[in-house]
Amino acid sequence: MQDLLNAATLGSIYLLFALGMALVWGTIGILNFAHGATFMFSAFIGHMVSKETELPFLGVIGISVLVGAVISSLTQLLAFQPILKRSKSQHAAEMRILIGGIGVAAIPLALAQRETRSSPFGFNSSYKSEVFEVLGLRLTTTSAIIIVAGLAIGVGLTVWLRRSRQGLALRAIGVDAETSAGMGVNRPLLAFTTMAVAGGLAGLAGALLTFHLGAIAPETGDQLVIKAFAIIVLGGLGSMLGTVIGAYVLAGAETFVLVMNWGTWVDAVSFGLIFLILLARPQGLLGRKEVRRT
Amino acid sequence: MGSGALRRKTLVAGVAMATVLGTAACGSGGDSAGDGGDNTIKIAQVQDQTGPVAYAGLGASEGAELAIEEIEEQGFLGDDVKIELEKYDTAGEIERASSEMNKAMADRDVDAVLGPVSTQQAATVAPLVGRSKVPTVFTQAGGEGVVVNDYTFRVTPPMESYYASVMDFLEEEGVKTASVLYNATFPTFALLGEDDVPAMAEERGIEIVQSLAVQMTTQDFSGQAQQIAKEGADAVVMLLIAPQSVTALGQLKDAGYDGQIVATSVQAAGNIEAAGDNANGLVYPVPFSVAMEDKESDAFTKAFQKKFGKEPDPYAADGYDAVWWIARAIEASGDSSREGIRKGLEQIAGDGFTGAMGDLAFDGNDARIDGVLVRWQNGKETLVE
Repeated sequence: MQDLLNAATLGSIYLLFALGMALVWGTIGILNFAHGATFMFSAFIGHMVSKETELPFLGVIGISVLVGAVISSLTQLLAFQPILKRSKSQHAAEMRILIGGIGVAAIPLALAQRETRSSPFGFNSSYKSEVFEVLGLRLTTTSAIIIVAGLAIGVGLTVWLRRSRQGLALRAIGVDAETSAGMGVNRPLLAFTTMAVAGGLAGLAGALLTFHLGAIAPETGDQLVIKAFAIIVLGGLGSMLGTVIGAYVLAGAETFVLVMNWGTWVDAVSFGLIFLILLARPQGLLGRKEVRRT
Repeated sequence: MGSGALRRKTLVAGVAMATVLGTAACGSGGDSAGDGGDNTIKIAQVQDQTGPVAYAGLGASEGAELAIEEIEEQGFLGDDVKIELEKYDTAGEIERASSEMNKAMADRDVDAVLGPVSTQQAATVAPLVGRSKVPTVFTQAGGEGVVVNDYTFRVTPPMESYYASVMDFLEEEGVKTASVLYNATFPTFALLGEDDVPAMAEERGIEIVQSLAVQMTTQDFSGQAQQIAKEGADAVVMLLIAPQSVTALGQLKDAGYDGQIVATSVQAAGNIEAAGDNANGLVYPVPFSVAMEDKESDAFTKAFQKKFGKEPDPYAADGYDAVWWIARAIEASGDSSREGIRKGLEQIAGDGFTGAMGDLAFDGNDARIDGVLVRWQNGKETLVE
């Protein structure tokens, strides 16, 4: 049971990180490789501010979410939107956006590396994680917050995309951007808002993960981008519920490998499992064969 | 004849005048007379200035700069001899280390090189060093395959050469059982975790009851921490990189583990500071610490604090001792050509010298020191007696 709880915590960490990336990729079609840098830099700014003055838990979260949203909005405004404007089609823009994202990511990474010399950084916060036991299972307050936040936001986003008008508009962009624009969907505004929300989620993930791990390094986001990429593909591109399931499948596989003490095989076994699933279901666990994205 | 060669001849004249007083007629062993001009020794620092291990390269830069300042102020190589440090950033990438190293060695003005700090980078460039015949002093890069030919030297002792002090400490503390948590994709830690620590533990009657390998990409240690707490060994040998250590320490505590934890010199340089109170009581060996009290180490610490307004870390001590080794080599051979420096480095390695890291002895071209054990407590290192 304790291992299941560990898997749930790990899966929620992956989920929190992957949600923002899945949202923009699955709706407005942007595979944002700067998501990891946004995640890291949001936490880094929280670290810098908390160095000056001790912050409460919500203070750190607020700063990180805000910074994440600002970075992501600026990325959309200054990098992705100009690329989209200059590209003849969405398809042509995709590769340029991917490269553009990698380029954008290099800037906050370099700034954080320069300031920290790549040493780990955490928060100077009045919040201290407590350990409690339920039915013999050990759990920290931060883990509990991460599990609740991951599931709540994951399910909330899924419902919002399926039930709200804005969600419908976003899905319409995902299906056919030009037709949806012709039907009155304001694509640039929705894309900007979606990127801002995704950035906020990256900031939230950055702050929560830093609280959970004690500290992160400037390169931490890069490692998570690869996992998030795999989770989204495994779950099925465009399916938020698929992302939720994909995160817990990956975390479950990794935890199993660790329990078996095959530590160095974590990536090989986990990604091998994903490969096998994709062989059977190329569209991912909940992806649809048709283009429609939900 | 290239300008570099001309400069070198000129420089050697200065060196010869300063260091071989009274024996000028004998020449300097290498190039001899010069006709005035630019007396400059050029050292290329091919190390990470950015990227995940930038702290090691940047620290070495500061130590090297301090050494150069002292050498020039003292007129150690002659009153008008200058040392130029040119930095090449390897940015944490093996292929970039290779290209930057080639670039540095292709510059005929470069007399010696401070080689990459990571074992993977260093082992890649070591054969190139032998082919290009440029004396290269590596700092850090503690794995195998680095000191492999006559032109490769290493000033930082490999971790396993002084890790015995940690195991002695555990034995003295009465530890009978230990768990090992190690990063198996980091060559130095893989070697320690799989071979050296189990062997040293067996010699001291300590049973390794658990050995948990993780990857470089492992970020969450909840599972491993709970396995360790469940096993309840007297001590944990933690061989992890800096951010992993911070997380593992916190999660070991959360899991209820309260035994002795020992680690590695990676935890030095304030890398463990982010762990806060969770790091209290952590013991690790270092080749250099500001807590060291011997004359040379203390003098280095004070000079560093004066120049940079902060405490030096072991990486700075590496850079400092590496440059002083090169300077002593030039003085010893009386020749600042690449070949002269190589001979001098060998000669100094044969004799050993005292630097910021204390008394440095050598096994061939590879440094060996006793190291010191330190305990991290409330944000500071103190020596473990």
